[in-house]
Amino acid sequence: MNTEIRNGSPVVVARGLRKAYKNKLALDDTRFEVPLGRIVGLIGPNGAGKTTALKAILGLVPFEGDLKVLGKDPRTQRDELMNDICFIADVAVLPRWMKVKEAIAFVAGVHPRFDEAKCRRFLEGTQLKPDLRVREMSKGMIVQLHLALVMAIDARLLVLDEPTLGLDILYRKQFYQRLLEDYFDEEKTILVTTHQVEEIEHILTDVMFIRDGKIMLDAPMDTLGERYTEVLVNADRVEAARALKPVDERALPFGKTVMLFDGADAARLGELGETRTPGLADLFVATMKGTYA
Amino acid sequence: MTAVEWNDGAPIYRQLKERVVAMMLDGVLRPGDALPSVRQVAAEYQLNPITVSRAYQELADDQLVEKRRGLGMYVTEGATARLMASERERFLREEWPMVLERIQRLGLDPKELLDPKSKWGQA
Repeated sequence: MNTEIRNGSPVVVARGLRKAYKNKLALDDTRFEVPLGRIVGLIGPNGAGKTTALKAILGLVPFEGDLKVLGKDPRTQRDELMNDICFIADVAVLPRWMKVKEAIAFVAGVHPRFDEAKCRRFLEGTQLKPDLRVREMSKGMIVQLHLALVMAIDARLLVLDEPTLGLDILYRKQFYQRLLEDYFDEEKTILVTTHQVEEIEHILTDVMFIRDGKIMLDAPMDTLGERYTEVLVNADRVEAARALKPVDERALPFGKTVMLFDGADAARLGELGETRTPGLADLFVATMKGTYA
Repeated sequence: MTAVEWNDGAPIYRQLKERVVAMMLDGVLRPGDALPSVRQVAAEYQLNPITVSRAYQELADDQLVEKRRGLGMYVTEGATARLMASERERFLREEWPMVLERIQRLGLDPKELLDPKSKWGQA
């Protein structure tokens, strides 16, 4: 089933993207693909090019290179594309004077694929009553409203830029719960950026690490466990371990060293010390080492 | 919401499968019971649906659950018996020889250990 979905035609194909701001490259010969029916995390430190990449996909910034989103070029076919894409940014933009019912009426008026009844159903049981105004809502409630509006649109690609930034853990958990229960299926694709790596690591089907506008890692989540191993190396085995070329190494108190290996032989690693599969956060830290140096 | 800790050792889909198997062995899930939908499990445990499908697929491959068209996944009639048989087989192959060896090494009498009238024979 996995391979079947991955072989379907990709929703996003990017080749040689380039975007320079004043004195910094936000996209530097960037290439990646987003397959259909996946939940892909685009993860990188601040200023790595995440938001620029998303803006390029949404046709919100000019750039150089070859980019196809659902077979269309966002630079020239943005209007058609917007029928099939939805977007939630960390800076949720809803006018402060607007009431819940007005927001629903507005989206119903501008979006041909918006299902008003569905949206109201999503809001049932929440504190978002029809006459509540945006200015009276907490940050969590605004995101909740935004999500209900977006999930009621039958789009093929949902782009989320730091959707849960500034939310407490209850709202964050609820956000992804709703998304998985009421929205995602094999016909839909979600592209999400976030700093909360641990929180979404099991939700993602694929992950991309971006740094200085370049994709440093691009892999299905279920292959990471086979590929990467972390070893707690005993002091007397450190030299032997280094010979196997770890991609990262850090010393712990009491004479142990943690080393991260990419694609090394599991049996040989087992002789060096205790092994475990690193979490996404561990891989991220190792990949991004020196970023802020 | 159930708090779940996944450990770093095994892939998540396998840990999920083990969890369902444990529920069957404990009698929490019985033959004919419905499993929650992939969507429900994904949302509740915050896992991607592909992981959940994969766990369910392996349970189906082991004939512990079956798909009923349009209704979802159900525990098969023979699931408990099948699991018991494989658990017994595993116990006799892997654990029993070690237990037996220990009993003999400590000079205990298996007959007395299992005699319901002795204080060791009460399960």
